Amino acid sequence: MTSLPLTEPVFLVLLSLAEQPRHGYSILKDVEAMSTGRVVLSTGTLYGALQRLLRQGWIERFHEDESSRDRRAYRLTSRGRKNLQAEIDRVRHLSRLASLRVARKEA
Amino acid sequence: MLTLYRTLMYLYPAEYRREFGEEMALVFEEARIALGNKSPARVWFYARESVGLLAGAVCEHVHALTLSPESNSIRRLNMRRFPISTIALMIVILAGVVLAIESAKAIQVKYDAGVVSVWDTMPGFVAIGLALVCCAAVAGWAILFALHRSGIHRLSDVQTWSDQR
Repeated sequence: MTSLPLTEPVFLVLLSLAEQPRHGYSILKDVEAMSTGRVVLSTGTLYGALQRLLRQGWIERFHEDESSRDRRAYRLTSRGRKNLQAEIDRVRHLSRLASLRVARKEA
Repeated sequence: MLTLYRTLMYLYPAEYRREFGEEMALVFEEARIALGNKSPARVWFYARESVGLLAGAVCEHVHALTLSPESNSIRRLNMRRFPISTIALMIVILAGVVLAIESAKAIQVKYDAGVVSVWDTMPGFVAIGLALVCCAAVAGWAILFALHRSGIHRLSDVQTWSDQR
């Protein structure tokens, strides 16, 4: 069950798909690049996350290239985009709160 | 290596394998080729992939057993596909346990040969407990097999009304 707050790998996978539809390998590389090499997903972890997101209706799968039966790409659904936005708002709120608290302590 | 990867995929439930198996193998191959010949990176990559696959297989089996509301695979007991992947997973786990016991024995012999092994002093209830667990597992499997043979899992497919009104 994928629910808020999201784990970092799932959050990064959704962020990767927010920009454009991607296939599995492209998601792997993008997640690695976004986290500057800190989060490196294995295929098992990636597809576990993708399957949960598919099941929840946050993402959908489609054939990127009709000639290749096994090469499928993923994109965010409107539900997934809405949940991602909610997570971004939550993280933004936490970040703002943390900055305020730290600044107050230092003052 | 791809062959080993595909073999490890058999640890996953058959339904999952049919859905994602080929795609996962393609991504694995792409990632492996992109690594090039950097040995340390390759070792790390294979270790990460193996652990990811094993963890993923366990998660998928747990998910299948915990009966999510949208999944009806357990409601139908999905027994035709259940034993093969589960038996493979059980063998892997058993091999891990046996390996751990052997390693522990070796450490004990190396550092404290004078101490009597806990297995020698422990009463037979551990063995009895293990035998009971095995019996329960066999009985459970036999019940599932009998239910499957009886065709009870097909009852959910039975249509009790007519489409034509």
